[in-house]
Amino acid sequence: MSLLELNGITKFFGKLAALEEIDLKVDEGEVLGIVGPNGSGKTTLINIISGYYRPTRGTIFFNGKKISGLRPDQIADRGIVRTFQSNVLFEGATVLESMLVGSFLQYKTKDWQSFFETKAYKDDHERVVGRVIELLKTFDIFNDIFLPATGLSHGYQRMLGITMALIANPKVLLLDEPTTGMNHEEAMFVVENIKKISEQGITVLVIEHNMKVILNIATRVVVLNFANKIADGKPEEVMNKQEVIEAYLGTETI
Amino acid sequence: MMTYIDYKTLLPRTVIGVLIGLFVIIPVFTTSVITLSILISSGIWAIAVMGFVLILRTGQFSMGQAAFMALGGYASAILTVNLRMPFWPSFLLAGVISGIIALIIGLVVLRVGGIYFSIITLAFGEIVRILAQYMEGITRGVRGIIPPPPPTISLAGLEINFAAGNPVPYYYFMVLLVAIASLVFWQIGRSRLGGTFASLALNQVLAEHQGIHLMKYRVIAFTVAGVFTGFAGAYYTNFLSIITPLMFGLWQSIQIMMMSIVGGVSSIVGGALIGATVLYTLGRYLSLLPIYNIQYLLFGAIVVLVLLFLPKGTGLVDLWGKFWRKVFREPEEYEMPEETEMAVE
Repeated sequence: MSLLELNGITKFFGKLAALEEIDLKVDEGEVLGIVGPNGSGKTTLINIISGYYRPTRGTIFFNGKKISGLRPDQIADRGIVRTFQSNVLFEGATVLESMLVGSFLQYKTKDWQSFFETKAYKDDHERVVGRVIELLKTFDIFNDIFLPATGLSHGYQRMLGITMALIANPKVLLLDEPTTGMNHEEAMFVVENIKKISEQGITVLVIEHNMKVILNIATRVVVLNFANKIADGKPEEVMNKQEVIEAYLGTETI
Repeated sequence: MMTYIDYKTLLPRTVIGVLIGLFVIIPVFTTSVITLSILISSGIWAIAVMGFVLILRTGQFSMGQAAFMALGGYASAILTVNLRMPFWPSFLLAGVISGIIALIIGLVVLRVGGIYFSIITLAFGEIVRILAQYMEGITRGVRGIIPPPPPTISLAGLEINFAAGNPVPYYYFMVLLVAIASLVFWQIGRSRLGGTFASLALNQVLAEHQGIHLMKYRVIAFTVAGVFTGFAGAYYTNFLSIITPLMFGLWQSIQIMMMSIVGGVSSIVGGALIGATVLYTLGRYLSLLPIYNIQYLLFGAIVVLVLLFLPKGTGLVDLWGKFWRKVFREPEEYEMPEETEMAVE
């Protein structure tokens, strides 16, 4: 049984189909790349898995349990955490504050324990701070923890977004274009980090435009075009498929 | 072994302690009804402002907070007068009733956030006022209810007499009530709850995707505010020995917002105490001027001045913070460098 299973996911915005009958199975430990031209429904797919949108039709199963129709916070609690396409951060908070607020799911103690500052809460808090610092060190953002998060450069803001998703203890990480607007070095920095994440046993779904990045990290690639899945398989095979080439470059007419 | 004294934390604590001490012994120096009643009223409004600021912390703007004072006030008055309940149980019930109504309203209204929430709370405030006015069988309409003074308490040979005309016991009970409210709100702000609330205001979508249940935390803030605002209303009603529909209307809700603006919202407790005291005292003296209702006009001017010179929610409480740092030479807040560049070549 697959970890994440999408059955016949369809999403309409009014009469416009953003996704049509998408079936997708994701196995544990995979790095699944989702590619496709602009407007093919990639981000909609992530928005539906993370619960931001409800599918018009179709169901999603995670670990054999239905998750479609749940709220984003419930889905995050089950272990599917996402990042955003643009830099979505807590406006005005420092890096450390952002991470601590983002650690909501990392805490094991309840709100009332935090209110009364019980011993259990203090220990828990210490553990969470330790985990936050450990993660920030892993991803090379540690030097700037007292800077406002929005003062970081674009690449580091991106990494902070991913680190915040990681502190929520994901089993599946959904990355929405983690390398947009980056040059080659910055993109490779993110690629190395995604590899590290995958090595920790976290399943990764990554939307990406940059083919170098996809070929570098993905163990499997799914191609979307006009709301439909047109290819699914090993990166090299998929990239040489006629339909995929046509989707990106257009049909050859001689 | 050397004992290390941390002056940085010791000094502020001493000053806060001295201030609290000063407030406790004020009645020793003056039992002036006017002075004490201004302080009592300021304290009561400060509690309502704390509730408003807590809701604001979750990113929601409640425009009907005075309605919860009305609910608390009417609950306590109706329980003691119509149902002949003793004072103290009815006072406690008033807060609980106000809290339960806040919970129910919150569960319905907080599904929609933002401007819709503001408008619905505004309407809710007016509904409460109109109900109080026209349910004459229970509320006696515009004539209002006159609750009896709380019973005299005998505590360890000390007679605490709440008879009319003696504000001292009312003053001490206000200090106790404000102390409890301050402690609760301060602790909420400091604990993880405070961070969770703030995250809802800073970025609701991100907070939700980090696993925070929006509705739950909005409702918690709204309910806690409802409980304490209810207590404030119940106590105000008993202090003034009357409640009428006009005592807690739209203007009073606006006044709560103005107090939060003047005091500043960067600290829940400090801003509320400063804002409520300054505006209430000013209002009381300005209303002595020979022009009818001039205080409303001047309040507007004060709010505009505060917004001009202390913008972004930094009210008088931040001014105090600046003064503090200057006096004790604490470093100014960390200034952000222009831009931090990633090593790109």
